[in-house]
Order: sequence, then structure tokens, then C-alpha cells
Amino acid sequence: MVLAFIFVPLLGAAIMPIMRKFWVKGSTLVTIAVTIFMLVGSFLNIHREVVSKSSISFNQSLLGEKLMLSIDGLSAVVLMVIALVTLATIVFSAGVPIGRRSGFNALVLLAVTGMNGLTMATDIFSIYVFIEIVSISSFILIVYNMDDVGTESSFKYIVLSAVATVFLLVGIATLFAITGDVSFRGMAAGLRSNAPLAQFGLGFILFALALKAGLMPFHGWLPDAYTGAPVSVSILLAGVVTKVTGVYTLMRIIIAVFGFSDSFSSLVMILGSISMTLAAFMAMGQQDFKRMLAFSSISQVGYILMSFATGTSIGLIGAVFHFFNHAVFKSLLFLNAGAVETATGVRKLDDLGGLAAKMPVTGITSIIGSLSAAGVPPLAGFWSKLLIIIALWSSGYRFYAFLAIFTSVVTLAYLLYMQRQVFFGKVRQGLEGVKEVSPLLYGPAVLMALLAVAGGLFYPMVIRTLNALSSLLIK
Amino acid sequence: MENTLLFAVLAPVIGAFSLPLIGFYSAKIRNVFAFVFVLLSLIASAILLRPVLAGETVTFFGSGVLGLDLILSADALGVFMALASTLIGLIIIGYSFGYIQQDSNENEYYFWVVLFLGVMVGLVYSLNLVFIYLFWEISAVACWRLIGFYREPQIILKADKAFLITVFGALAMLLGFVILFNDYGSFDLRALQGMVAPNLAVLLIMFGIFSKSATLPFHTWLPDAGVAPSPVTALLHAAVLVKIGVFVFARLFVGNLVMEPIWGQILPIVIAISTIVAGGAALVENDLKRIIAYSTISQLAFIFLGLFMKSRMAVAGGLLYILTHGLAKAGLFLCAGIVEHNLQTKDIRQMGGLVKTMPVTAISFAFCALSVMGIPPLAGFFSKYMVIAGAVEGGNLFLAGIFILSAFLTVLYLIRVFAKVFLGEPKGPAIKEGTIGMIWAVAILAGLSLLGGFLIRYPNEFIQIAVRQMVGIE
Repeated sequence: MVLAFIFVPLLGAAIMPIMRKFWVKGSTLVTIAVTIFMLVGSFLNIHREVVSKSSISFNQSLLGEKLMLSIDGLSAVVLMVIALVTLATIVFSAGVPIGRRSGFNALVLLAVTGMNGLTMATDIFSIYVFIEIVSISSFILIVYNMDDVGTESSFKYIVLSAVATVFLLVGIATLFAITGDVSFRGMAAGLRSNAPLAQFGLGFILFALALKAGLMPFHGWLPDAYTGAPVSVSILLAGVVTKVTGVYTLMRIIIAVFGFSDSFSSLVMILGSISMTLAAFMAMGQQDFKRMLAFSSISQVGYILMSFATGTSIGLIGAVFHFFNHAVFKSLLFLNAGAVETATGVRKLDDLGGLAAKMPVTGITSIIGSLSAAGVPPLAGFWSKLLIIIALWSSGYRFYAFLAIFTSVVTLAYLLYMQRQVFFGKVRQGLEGVKEVSPLLYGPAVLMALLAVAGGLFYPMVIRTLNALSSLLIK
Repeated sequence: MENTLLFAVLAPVIGAFSLPLIGFYSAKIRNVFAFVFVLLSLIASAILLRPVLAGETVTFFGSGVLGLDLILSADALGVFMALASTLIGLIIIGYSFGYIQQDSNENEYYFWVVLFLGVMVGLVYSLNLVFIYLFWEISAVACWRLIGFYREPQIILKADKAFLITVFGALAMLLGFVILFNDYGSFDLRALQGMVAPNLAVLLIMFGIFSKSATLPFHTWLPDAGVAPSPVTALLHAAVLVKIGVFVFARLFVGNLVMEPIWGQILPIVIAISTIVAGGAALVENDLKRIIAYSTISQLAFIFLGLFMKSRMAVAGGLLYILTHGLAKAGLFLCAGIVEHNLQTKDIRQMGGLVKTMPVTAISFAFCALSVMGIPPLAGFFSKYMVIAGAVEGGNLFLAGIFILSAFLTVLYLIRVFAKVFLGEPKGPAIKEGTIGMIWAVAILAGLSLLGGFLIRYPNEFIQIAVRQMVGIE
């Protein structure tokens, strides 16, 4: 089962060039089949872990003891999120024209392979390798339309990713020098006596991952990449790629290797709160639909990391819940942005207006997405934000709790601005002929909207599941 | 009985989602269903009267996680509020049949109105702080969509403004709830009984309450919300939604959580300023609906005054005020709606002499206005008297003086409006009376305001039970 999460998408990617020769349409079907397989598999994982109530990390070794993969509670959730967002991406992309479709599908599956591997890795060098696989596939995906904007933003991403790679390697090398081991368990055991140098290593790794996650001082590449990429790629990038390579990896390394310390918590609190607040304000000034969502994404990463940095179990539940919710509502909003762009050819907010009347499904799902992102009950985004605020306040980060509350208002403000410019209101002149997009484009949005509603209505089940999954992680 | 309680909440909430679907088939049937769903909720709440009068409290407990349980409880206060809200809601839905006719967003309109009434009932029965917040925010979403009903850019801007201000307050309140949870380990109001609320929590919660109940300095969204269709303004911004703030204050701080004495000094000052400033604004405003909106702000302060005072008479007066003001103010807005609907203007300087062509509207307006002014024997008199008498009884003579001044302002601006709109010479072409449904709605509200004065004993006795439950037997 564990290996299947790597080899099934990898195999799928491998047969894409063959499919190109004789059945291009089939390549999409195969990709969808692979994603559905992963989705079902990750549900089974979660179910099994919740039922057995113990850390069933099924380890499999490859090449002796060198490569060990495991699925615990946190990775089970992340695997599900990856499969879910990939499904939305592929279905959406099937409805829009893309050149060299089988190549596109192959790259998406390759990125998924990397993310799945990253999620299950138990040593820091595998993490590095899988991050690189994800990054390289994303570089090409961003520039897949071969246009100027895509090229520029992809280039920017490559350069900054190279910096991140260097820092990550330096961090890994430092830790390896101290402990003589790259597996999480070995490093955690070896680190106890060597605090100062280990902090140095952690600093490098933190820097690299903050860059990957697009945290605020290191966010320069992110809005460009999200905006320049084709819409289906933006969904994948915003929903999972940056979250898994940056946020999840950081969580994993802290939980498995370093443990929570005051200096780490306060540093991440500061970085997270800057991202959360400033990015929300910057989102407010955006005129480009996708760019606004990109800044919103940075802002929400701030929430996730702040919640995680409290180091409490409720904080971890809040972070994982928000990780899931963010994937749902942000891919939903990107799907809406894509639908609007496909239907009108416009992304500039000022040039849109009143589309809810013309595109009812997109209009209604976008309201659900916006309200869930702003944390308005009873949608799923509310419960994760509530947990985050409880976690922040109860662990003494009171100023940050105020900031989180304040940013929620700002979040609502820019999303209302978006709603006002795009959906709510009178149909703008020149847009009278706009029609709702095809079911392939709005289908995933409906699915995501239903998830946002269901996550909110069945919050006891969700929180209990997450609690059962995460209770194994923090001692 | 637990099922009846749950039904009172779920009938309109779940029913609301079927309305747009029914609406695609037939508008008439949808309208009937909208009415029926709210009526069912009203009946369910009325059934709950019996156990309440017998001194029992029906409680529904839906287990959640981490203290986030759904706790609904039909005590006297909750039943009183639920009955008042659904009754006024029903009349307003009846009025909407005539008013909301030629618009393309009718399905959405009935969806939100019925959903709003459902969450209102949920809110008044809720004993869990998080669920109070949850229902509160859903009502804000309904408010946002309904204010923006006409979809003009300026109107949507005002809808966004109302949404943002109330959400700002509500989020502050949520943080206050989290503080209480952190200090006392529970969101359940029954577990918080008698606990001293930390000052910061009180401050944050008051942000929420004042923003929802449109009290200075968070009041500016309410006059702007007058751009909504008149039944919406009547329902949300006069009769029901703005009462959420005062209701939550009663739920939380009258006989449940304890505030530090200092708040007894600060809060009356805020509402005294609010009532006088809003009364003054109503006196100089020329937009018919804005005048009534300012009047609402001014009158809400009276309800707060009653609840702030410790005496039983004042609290009972405050609660009674919620009912009498809801009826009368809804009547005023609906009358204003008829005038606006037929005249296509809201400027009172372009009106005059309407009493000749719209006699029913004029008379209804007059009775509702008299009730808001507090002229005996109308219902509004008793509540206003009880509130001010309670303030005097508590020794707050100065405060009572300010509110008597404010009551005097109320008389002035309402007479001014009535004179400008309905008396004098007609300024425009002759216009007709509203449709039958609309006239009936305002006539019923005016009749209830009048009848309520003679039969004030019944609601009052019920409120005495509520007050006894809340503050205990003295």
C-alpha cells in the first residue's frame, strides 16, 4: 500500500508518452483513475488508523534499510488532500484546451509522485529528493502554455528554488555532521547534546522551507507563479504543492526531529503573523483575480503555521484541519477564477461584474468558498479558525490571537471586494453573452463546495478523526 | 418535547433550502411554503409555552466535540423571543408577497428570509456560546445578501459595509467567548452561571453586541441598510436582527455571567450618547427610511437601559420593549415601504397629503408611531414606562432624565415625519394605496400595537416568568 502511493502515479506518468501515440483522451482517464485510486486508498488509511487507534505506520524497506516510508496520522490526511486536489485539477484541465495533454498529465502525476513520497518519507535526504521532483515538475507545469508571463514566473521560481535547495542541503549537511544519520529517528536521538549547531541547521532548513511555502519575506515568486501558470496548475500549486513542500515538511521535521522549542515557536509565530496580516492587506489591493487568491494563500499559510507553532495538540488539530480546509476552499476559489477566465477571457476584477446571474453554479460555489475562507460559520473554515484561535489564546500567544481575529476581518473584506466586483451586482456591459462553463469545469467546484459545507456540518466527526490521528504525534 | 424544540429550529432552516427548488416550479407555491415553514416554527414554539408556563425547561443536547455541543433550551426568555420573532416574521413574509414581485432574485429572497428566521430561533434557544456565534454569523450573511438585493453597485457597497462591521464585532465577541472558555473551561452557559467575566472578555463581547444592535459608534451600517427592500429593512433592521444584540446581552449578562461593577458606569454612558445622537440625527434627516433607522438606534438604547439596570421591573421593561418596539417599528418600515413603493422616492420633502389617498397606511403609521413614542394606552407606553421607572428606582436620575429627553425627541421626529408625509398638500400626482396583502400587514401590526396596550397583562406575565428564571426570585 505504501509503495503503491509512489509507484502507481509514477507508472501512470511513465505510460503517458505511450498513450500519446494512440489514445490521447485516454491519458486523462488514466490519470483520473490513478487519482481516484489514491483517494480511496488514503480514505482506507485514515479509516484504518482511526479504528486501530495506534500508530500503524507500515514500514517497507527498499534496498536494505536505506529507504523507509511510513504513513502516520498526519501523512494520511495530507495524502488524502493531495489526491483530492489532483482530482479537481485533472477534471478541470480536461475541460479547457491544453496543448500536449498527455505530457501535462504525466507532469501532474510526477508532481504527485513527489508529493506522496515526501509525505511518507522518514529520512531527511529522501525529503530533499522528493522536494526536487515536485519542484522540477512544477517549473515545467507553470510554463506549460509557453507564454511570456509563464516563462518569467517559472524562471523566478527556479532561481529562488535553487536558493532554497542550497539552504536545505546546508541544513541537512549540518545535521548529518552532528548526528551521523539522516533518518528522523537517528537524528532526533543524536541531537540531544549538540544544541547550538543543531539550531544553526534548523535555521537553514527553516529558511529553505519558508521559501518553498512562500512565507512573507520570501514570498516574491509565489504570486507570479500562481498568476502566470495555467489555471489548472494554479489549483495544484495553491492547493497542495506549496503546502506540502513547505508547510507539511516543516511540520514533519519539527515533530520528528527537533521537537517544539520556545525559540522555534516564537520565530514561526513572527514569520507566520507577518505573512498572515501583510498578505491579507496586499490581497486587498489586487486587481487580478488569481493574484488576489495567491496573496490570500500566503495569508492562510500564516494561520496554519501559527497554529502549528503553539505545539499543543489542539493547535496541531487546528493546523491540520485548516490545511485540509485551505486546500478545499482555495482550490475552489481558483476553480471559480478559472471558470470566470474561461467564460469571459478576463481576470481583471474591474472588468467583471454581476456574473452570478450568468454563471449561477460558479456564483454560488464562490460564495461558499469565500465565506469558508473568511471563517464564517457554519462552513468548515470556521471550525478550523476557531480551533486556531483557541490554541493561540490558551497557549499564551494572546497578541497573535488578536492578529488572527483582525486578519479574519481583512480576509472577509478582500473576498467581499472580489464578490462585489465579479459576482454580486448588475451584469457589466459587454458580459451579457456570458454562459455557465461546462460541467467538467464547475463539477470539481461543486465537489469542493460540498466538502466545505459537509466539513462544517459534521465538524464533530472531523475533529474527532483528526484528534485520533494526531494524538499519536505529540507526546 | 425535545423534538418540538429541534423542529422549531430545523423547520425553517431546512425548509429554506427547498424554497429555491420549489420556486423554479411555481412562485405561488413557494410563497405559501415560505409562510408555512415559519408558521410551523411559530406553532412549535407555542407548544413549548405549556412546559414553560409550568416552570419547566425543555433542553435538547446534541453532543459535539471539545465542548462544541449543540445545546438548545426552551426557557421563558427563549420562547418569548422565538414567538416575537416568528410572529413579526410571518407578518412581514405576508407583506413581501405584494412587495417582492417583479424581481428576478425572488427565490434567493425567500430562501434568505426563511433561513434567517430559522437561525434566529436557533440563536434564541442556544445555550452554547459557539452556537450563539454560529447562528449570529449566519444571520449576518443573510443580512448581507438581502441588503444587496437590488444589485446596484452603491447598494452592494452598503451591504458589504453592514456585513464587515457586524462581522468585526462578532469576531471580537468570539474572542471574548474563547477567553471565557480558556478561563472556565466551557462554552456551556449553564456551566458559566455566576462566573465573573474578565474585563477584556466583557469589552470584546460588548463590541459584538453593540455592533449587531447598532449602537454608537458601530451604528453607521444601520441607516445605510435602508437601501434594502422595505420588508427586509423591517425584518432585519428594525424588528428582529438588531434585537439579537440586546437578546444576547440578556442571555449572557442578566443573571448569568457577572460583570465587574465598573461596567455599570461605562455602558449607560455609551447608550445615553447613542440614544441622544441618533434621536438628533432622526430629527434632521430627510430620507424616510433613514429617519426610522435612526429611530431604531435611539430606541435600542432604551432596551439596553432596561437590561443594564439591576431591578426586575427594568429588565422586564427591556424585554417587553423588544416585543412592542418590534411590532411598532416593523409597522413603520412597512408603511414606509408602501409609500416608497408607490411614490418611487424616499425623500420626505417630496411627499405630502398622503392621508387622503392612503388612509389605511396613514392610520397604521400613526398608531405604530404613537406606540414607538410611548403614548398610552398603546403597547409602547408600558415598556417605556417600565424601563424609565426602573432606572429611577435604581437611583439613576440623571440617566433617566437623558432618556426622557430622548423620548421627547422621539415624539418630535415622528410627528415631523407624519406631518410631512401624510398631512399638508399633495406634492405629486395622486397615488394609490398599497396591495391588499401589504395593507393587511401594516394594519395587523398597528392593531397589535394598539391591542397589545390593552392586553399588556399577558405578555407581561410571561415576561415576569422569564425575569424570575433569569435573575432568580428576589
